[in-house]
Amino acid sequence: MEFKLFDLSIVEYAFFVTSVLIILIGLYAALVKKTLIKIVIGLSILDAGINLLLISIGYLKAGTAPIFSPALVKNMPLTLENIKKLSEGMVDPVPQALVLTAIVIGFGVTAVALSLVIRLYRHHHTLNIDEIKNLKW
Amino acid sequence: MVGSPVLFIAIPLLAAFLIPLLGFVWKESVRILPGLVLLYLLYLSLTLMEQVVHTGTIVEVIAGWAPPWGINLVFSPLTGLLTTLMILMGFIIWIYSYRFKNIDFQEAVKYFILLLMLITGSVGIVLTGDIFNQFVFIEITSISAYALTAFYKGRDSAEASFKYLMIGSLSSMFLLLAIALIYSQLGTLNMADIAAKAHLMKPEFKILALIFFITGLGIEAEIFPLNGWAPDAYAQAPGPIGAAFSGIVVKAGVYAMIRVMFTLFDVAGTHQFLIVIGIITLIIAEMSAVRQEHLKRMLAYSSIGQMGLVIVAFGIGTEEGVFAALFLMLNHAIIKSLLFLSGSYLVYHSTGKYISEVDGIARNLPITSFLFALGSIAIVGMPPFAGFWSKWSMLTAAAHSNLILIIGLVLSVSLIELVYYFRVLNRIYFFPKKKEVVVKKPTINALLAMGLLGLLILIIGFYPDSVTGYLHAASQSLLDKGKYIHDVLSTGQLLLP
Amino acid sequence: MKKILVLSLLAVFGVYLAEVLFKIDFGHQFFLNGVKDFYLTASPDKLKVANVVTSIVVNFRGFDTLGEVTVLFLATTAMSSILYKGRHKLGERAVLFSSSRIVMTGSKLLFPAIILLGVYVFVHGHLTPGGGFQGGVIIATGFLLMLLSYQDYQVSHVVLSVVESLAGITFASIGLIGLLNGGTFLHNFLHTGVLNNLLSGGVIPIIYIAVGFKVGAELTGLIYTALNEKD
Repeated sequence: MEFKLFDLSIVEYAFFVTSVLIILIGLYAALVKKTLIKIVIGLSILDAGINLLLISIGYLKAGTAPIFSPALVKNMPLTLENIKKLSEGMVDPVPQALVLTAIVIGFGVTAVALSLVIRLYRHHHTLNIDEIKNLKW
Repeated sequence: MVGSPVLFIAIPLLAAFLIPLLGFVWKESVRILPGLVLLYLLYLSLTLMEQVVHTGTIVEVIAGWAPPWGINLVFSPLTGLLTTLMILMGFIIWIYSYRFKNIDFQEAVKYFILLLMLITGSVGIVLTGDIFNQFVFIEITSISAYALTAFYKGRDSAEASFKYLMIGSLSSMFLLLAIALIYSQLGTLNMADIAAKAHLMKPEFKILALIFFITGLGIEAEIFPLNGWAPDAYAQAPGPIGAAFSGIVVKAGVYAMIRVMFTLFDVAGTHQFLIVIGIITLIIAEMSAVRQEHLKRMLAYSSIGQMGLVIVAFGIGTEEGVFAALFLMLNHAIIKSLLFLSGSYLVYHSTGKYISEVDGIARNLPITSFLFALGSIAIVGMPPFAGFWSKWSMLTAAAHSNLILIIGLVLSVSLIELVYYFRVLNRIYFFPKKKEVVVKKPTINALLAMGLLGLLILIIGFYPDSVTGYLHAASQSLLDKGKYIHDVLSTGQLLLP
Repeated sequence: MKKILVLSLLAVFGVYLAEVLFKIDFGHQFFLNGVKDFYLTASPDKLKVANVVTSIVVNFRGFDTLGEVTVLFLATTAMSSILYKGRHKLGERAVLFSSSRIVMTGSKLLFPAIILLGVYVFVHGHLTPGGGFQGGVIIATGFLLMLLSYQDYQVSHVVLSVVESLAGITFASIGLIGLLNGGTFLHNFLHTGVLNNLLSGGVIPIIYIAVGFKVGAELTGLIYTALNEKD
């Protein structure tokens, strides 16, 4: 009983299209916006887009979470063959682990960026990038 | 396991986590501990280097999972050479900044943690054999670099740092995209595994991943369109950090880029691309350096120019070219650090750091001025100092590959460098001193650090054979892609049941 | 003008990127002999860890996680080095929220439950979705709630930095003990136990608990620094 709509290829690639769009929105905000906070938000959006892209690369159609929970194992003896059989229906766990790392790193960079924004605001009393021009941009 | 390459990462991390705790017990230990760590690692890297040159690459596996499944560290003659260089520079910078923030203890704690992590991150970039792990180390290096750039609160340092952060995080996003593309094609993240399977990638993925890699790594390597942050960051950061950027971080960036281009992919035309991008970087940077009024900005542009030269030398692609590039990197790390360290004493109290403020300062600071002059003469490439041999090897490499254009370029660039460095030297020695300029006498440890660097310049200058053996081994190991793949992936067969 | 230029550049970039990505066979396995098959079998078979993502994060790619923890540690250090000049006295924060008695009592009631949830998430990181990072974030939200609802709520900086350092030292020392014991850094030197037991996976739960403490302390520290920093 599969839904017919999901066989269309455009829907299949909706994840990629969405993540590319998010990446573009983030890049646009980071490159064009004049407010420091908006630039930082742009960087975060860009980060989110790339994380979505990474996750969707690991997607497997009708796959389950890569967890050998008791409900999944169901008293099956965990021989190598059984494990192989179970793992065939699982999504790729590597991108998930990478995204976990990437999210944390993105968070760290955002924290540093925001504290720099606070310092800049204290110093210049403005968030407009055009008015903060002691150095050449 | 006495000497395992993983200690280069594990021990500094342990020390960095320990420093805040030690600060509660004994304040002086916060300053001493990073130095002890770096001294031990220097000893370790020198012994391992000796071992590696004779017995071959050490591949260190993490968590007992053989490559390509686990992360691995590769201590080859090339990575070992760069690691040794970075830790040596880190140690000298630690000596120089031992009394940094003498009064404000809290600031000192942060400074030493960040400095140690800057060095560790760069060492990690060089040692790791996994692209995602490299990304993590790049982020460790960059975050420490952003914080250290903004360390002085009085200057426009936050602005420089924000600029650096913007470019830096944009390009690290591209790095992540490149990793995603590679993973989607090959399902692996290990460099040697990628290199072995690279022919399985669809060509458009390969090209796009390579472009993203260059964008992502070019920022640390300071190649042309991505180096807008560098002059500001160098000028606004504390003096020793400028030295650390040019002596440590840039080297790691160049290594990462070269590793991607030489080992990961076999795309045609990368050598030509390197030569072109290097020449553009070189010319623009040297032209800007001549026009600078600020001492530190001048040094920063000169640093970018030198990296352009290194990239051109890598682009020659022959073993001689790679040898010359590595020799240039080694000399540039030592000499440019000396210039930054001594230069920051020449303009210590000045707010603008103008070149005109060093007039006649040699009478007040004879030793510092002498060391600055030594560095200037060495970097221009005058015999018999260190810089001469690297430029000479670059000229011979270019001549043997029949690249006349590059010979002319190197000579004319040396002439430009001669002009702007001697302009400063002329002011230091032969101009009357301005009365309003306040002079800061260098501390003993600063003099010791600068003296060590000066000594290294003389040693390499008079006995270039002391390093060339290692450099030859390193350049062979970079060019021998098959051996790298074999070294890494065969460790797996030993470990698997 | 600049906007149009950037937009057109981005459009070209996006179309090209999307075109390349469309060549990926979405939702299917398209590469042969990738590393994931090994992880999916070795995690339940050798490490006895039910959650494969956890075993990748903590063991197979544990070095990344050590780096990641360091990134967070650096972010706190960087933030306080960029911002810190003075600290406000009690109740004179940069941002003041006035909250009613209902909010105050409610958050007081919720706080232990949130902490408990966080601890549950990171203790069961090797069995269920979640782990040290997620649990640590949940704990930090508990502290955020308290900081928002009580204007004079204080977190001791000394305690935070001690927890942070000790957790980091635990992680690195477990790695070094593995180096001495099994010959490789982060080697799993404890018995791995039985799949889906709470005490399984050897050092993996211990590392994840340390990560949980570290992330909780660091995020709380970040919030606290940002709230209490003074010009």
